[in-house]
Amino acid sequence: MAAGAGEPFLTVEGLRKTYGGTEALRGVSFTLDEGEFLCLFGPNGAGKSTLLKILATLLRPTLGTVRIRGFDLEDDPEAFRARLGLVSHQSFLYDDLTARENLEFYAGLYGVTDPAGRAEELLRQVDLYDRRDSPVGAFSRGMQQRLTIARALVNDPDLLLLDEPYTGLDEHAASLLRDRLGALHDRRRTIVMVTHNLRRGIESATRLGILSRGRLVFLSHRDEVDAEGFEDTYFRCMEAP
Amino acid sequence: MSRAWFLYRKDLRIELRKKESGASMTFFGALVLVILNVAQGPGRRLTPETAAGVLWVAVIFSAVLGLGRVFARERENGCISALLVSPASPGTVFAAKACVNLTLMILSQAVLVPVFFVLFGTGLTGGPLALVPSLLLVDAGFSAAGTLLSAVSAGTRRNEVLLPILLFPLILPLVALAVKATGSALAGRALAERLPLLEPLAAFGLIYAAAGYLLFPFVVREG
Repeated sequence: MAAGAGEPFLTVEGLRKTYGGTEALRGVSFTLDEGEFLCLFGPNGAGKSTLLKILATLLRPTLGTVRIRGFDLEDDPEAFRARLGLVSHQSFLYDDLTARENLEFYAGLYGVTDPAGRAEELLRQVDLYDRRDSPVGAFSRGMQQRLTIARALVNDPDLLLLDEPYTGLDEHAASLLRDRLGALHDRRRTIVMVTHNLRRGIESATRLGILSRGRLVFLSHRDEVDAEGFEDTYFRCMEAP
Repeated sequence: MSRAWFLYRKDLRIELRKKESGASMTFFGALVLVILNVAQGPGRRLTPETAAGVLWVAVIFSAVLGLGRVFARERENGCISALLVSPASPGTVFAAKACVNLTLMILSQAVLVPVFFVLFGTGLTGGPLALVPSLLLVDAGFSAAGTLLSAVSAGTRRNEVLLPILLFPLILPLVALAVKATGSALAGRALAERLPLLEPLAAFGLIYAAAGYLLFPFVVREG
């Protein structure tokens, strides 16, 4: 992703998405600078996953634009996808392949120079190296989620999108994920995470947002938010018409 | 290595491990040939044109079994979404999947054609090698059309029913030409004589491949 001088890393402008007669997103706008970590909260049906799917180029918005460093996503989606990582509700893993084969396949797909080496490095990072030759279908939910996170990092993405990444993780795995996200943040990678889990979100993010009924009703820097009182803010936003 | 190669290798690796599509295609095709042989009765010979029809019934029905499976695998765990957010273009995904289907058809026919000659070969002038051009051309067109339609049907609940309903009318001209070209080969006609039948087969293959390549992104992407 080539740099556009003076532009934010990510610009989301007037995003609307309609399914039939239902509006999932009703004019969402925000910007993120490079290296920021935005955590979006919201109840079921708030439009969080729809927003993430649009950012991942899996869905087209009905109206509005997404720009990366000033360049419209529609102009060169394949170049954008090469620098994108996505953790979704689904694992995107092949049950009949081993952990190593899954990562090597995705590394190859992203044009990583040494797929085998990259797979080994990531398997060590998510603590699955000892199970590298086991088929993924035999993995527990938590192990699959750790491998899912490794898969999303296979191309060392500039922008990482995470949809409820803590689901199914035990404390050890959650701590591994927190460390990985911290390492990415230290390397100025931009992260957008959606979650129901207020505590997990607040402890990691630099920006906090709340989506309700398809609108971004709250957006603030983490430093400007009282972590103790954020739950009250969240429920106030939910009750607002 | 290209992205298409990684996709192709991944599917073949799963296929070799699970032996789902190739084995069921071959077994089903051989079963159809045996049933038709029993129905024919002992000591009766088929004309080259009828024998060609018998071969293509077995090949086409068995190939449909494999087509559905290769794409259904991508719907499990949402893997198709991972392919769509990767830098591999939908056209690359289509090409790799079509090549996997083509490979499975060729491997299955490597068994079915000898079985066909054992059961129905008496009195036929042309041998197995004479069938290779028409088989390859039809396989290419069939796998291109089949890959596109298996992507359409994989997103539905009754994909195993929907795929043949969509596919058979579309490939009817291809199969009709294939029966003629194969019948001509089984009658022992030289390749030069069969060219007027093989050229339209190649044209159909190109049309199906081009249509599949262009339409595939609209089939696999959400609105």
